Amino acid sequence: MLKQMPTSLKMANRTFLFFWVFLAAFPFFWMFLISFRSPVDAFSFPPKLFAPVTLEHFYTVWIVDGFWRQALNTTVITLGTLTVSLTIGCLAGYGLSRYRGSMGFWILIIALVFRAMPHVVMLVAYKPAFWAMGIWNRYETLIIVLVAINQPFTIWMLRSFFVNIPEELDQAALVDGCNRVQTFVKVIMPVMWPGVITTGLFSFLLAYNDFLISSQLMSGDHMTMTAALSNYIFSDDSLAKLMHGVAGAVSITIPLIFLVLFFQKYIVSGLTHGAVKG
Amino acid sequence: MAGIKMVNVKKQYPNGFVAIESMNLDIPDKEFVVLVGPSGCAKSTALKMIAGLEEITAGEMYIGDRLVNDVPPKDREIAMVFQSYALYPHMTIYDNIAFGLKMRKTPKEEIDKLVKEASEILGMADLLDRKPRQLSGGQRQRVALGRAIVRHPQVFLFDEPLSNLDAKLRVKMRTELKQLHQRLQTTVIYVTHDQVEAMTMGSTIVVLKLGQIQQVGSPLELYSFPANRFVAGFIGSPSMNFLDCTIAEENGATYVDTGAFKVELPADKAAKVREHGGREFIFGIRPEDMRKRREKQENYSEAHVHARINVIEPLGKEMYVNMTADGLDFMGIINARFQLAPQEDIELTFNMDRAHLFEKDGDNRSVAHTAKNATSLEDARLAESVDDD
Repeated sequence: MLKQMPTSLKMANRTFLFFWVFLAAFPFFWMFLISFRSPVDAFSFPPKLFAPVTLEHFYTVWIVDGFWRQALNTTVITLGTLTVSLTIGCLAGYGLSRYRGSMGFWILIIALVFRAMPHVVMLVAYKPAFWAMGIWNRYETLIIVLVAINQPFTIWMLRSFFVNIPEELDQAALVDGCNRVQTFVKVIMPVMWPGVITTGLFSFLLAYNDFLISSQLMSGDHMTMTAALSNYIFSDDSLAKLMHGVAGAVSITIPLIFLVLFFQKYIVSGLTHGAVKG
Repeated sequence: MAGIKMVNVKKQYPNGFVAIESMNLDIPDKEFVVLVGPSGCAKSTALKMIAGLEEITAGEMYIGDRLVNDVPPKDREIAMVFQSYALYPHMTIYDNIAFGLKMRKTPKEEIDKLVKEASEILGMADLLDRKPRQLSGGQRQRVALGRAIVRHPQVFLFDEPLSNLDAKLRVKMRTELKQLHQRLQTTVIYVTHDQVEAMTMGSTIVVLKLGQIQQVGSPLELYSFPANRFVAGFIGSPSMNFLDCTIAEENGATYVDTGAFKVELPADKAAKVREHGGREFIFGIRPEDMRKRREKQENYSEAHVHARINVIEPLGKEMYVNMTADGLDFMGIINARFQLAPQEDIELTFNMDRAHLFEKDGDNRSVAHTAKNATSLEDARLAESVDDD
């Protein structure tokens, strides 16, 4: 047990933490606050804490500008990327965690190299090729590229979760009458959930937040939320348009907050325990 | 029910490491066989090859009369208990035990009957709806056993099943496992690094070192007639004392000379030494085969050794005494009646009928071991207590 801290130190700690949280959260908080205001109120000087509330920006962004369409695109892309990269990641991670030859090491090193590469490097190669093949601006294409970027990371992370599951569990299942596939499906995967959820959340964020690749490969009806959002920010012709962008940004952020809150328990257990103890 | 036969079995890992060069072992049906050896002796590898969890590089493996080299584990009709128990954490105890039966498509009522039966044998009928993490170490161990016995396999394989339990529980489980074996009458192959466990449980013990079988025999055979120095040192606790010695002949008698002391060899051992022809050996004497010298020594040959006491470890009934004689350290077990103190001098007699001689080079093969008619330990102790009166 920790020893009781002196009151003065406790106070200092709290003050510092409060200040820190305030500093870190303020921009988001302010963004959230002004997204419900008319431009005049939002950018008034000195800033106002209270002002009349309006849902006008959200209405314009979602209904008039068709942000719902982009939200749908992002959903398809994110879920697609998540499904493919977790499926491949689980199979590869399990294989690599149980494989004892030296090849496994090299596969992981190669994965690490691809992970370290700047994403734009791949884009340079992808974009002309996709143009030439005529598969530009399609869901599958973006999903493939995002999976490619994501996969090294998911393999590494899932592998380290699988490594924490003792091999004796596989062996017990094999002796109990399973073949390799049954062992994986019936015995190993059920204890892997914290790992899958943690890794899944990270891949989700990568796909959901991606701007660089999505904005280059998708356009028009297929644009994702992040790419669409940039159109509002870069066009500084009117304050009203910027306010629509702010409303869009808030719309993108809110699901993330709920997601993290909802899975928080799993993520913490996933990150600390690694996996289950027999 | 089935025996197991290994013919020239070899295990080489993909990285080139040869764990087992060539193993030949014939385990009869219904036997309780213990594979014992220090870590790295490939005992677990051997077990996993029997289970089919490790591939066999060369040679033949039979379970019963069936060649099983290429038979997957699930079709070998074996059950295994692991050191970490390896219970399925997401299943209830009932499902853990029933899993093997479900995989084999046993009818539901049948499964229910068998699981109930097994849980009754192990005394955990009221734990069936718990999850493994809600159980204590001993209870998990029982579940692992239940999972094995419920399938009525041809062979049970145990991989250090007791080493995660505390000392008291281990002794209890040892007895339970033995009873279980007597009741089920199934071949058991049991791997451990603990020689006490091996001695107490096995009807046959296989001593392994670096992937090679050193000796196969009953516990008392290994104790009294170890084939080489390794087995002699591995079996018995505290372990046998080993002292380099030369053979000296004086006045028609044969002596063992360690430099620190000279003791006479009994006639049968002297004959074996002459037969062997060597002059330099390793002299082996177990701590329990020496005692403090007094008058009237009837059973022990006349071999007197003077030593100085370094450390005394009292155990109640007796004490472990670490001594030095002219720079040579050795251990003796002395009856606790004696008043001894560190740095004191002590005079010992060795029971030379139970002394051993090993070759000095190569595999340290045994040249002479306990005489077949040697006074048993119990007799000697009895004689000692009679002396008292």
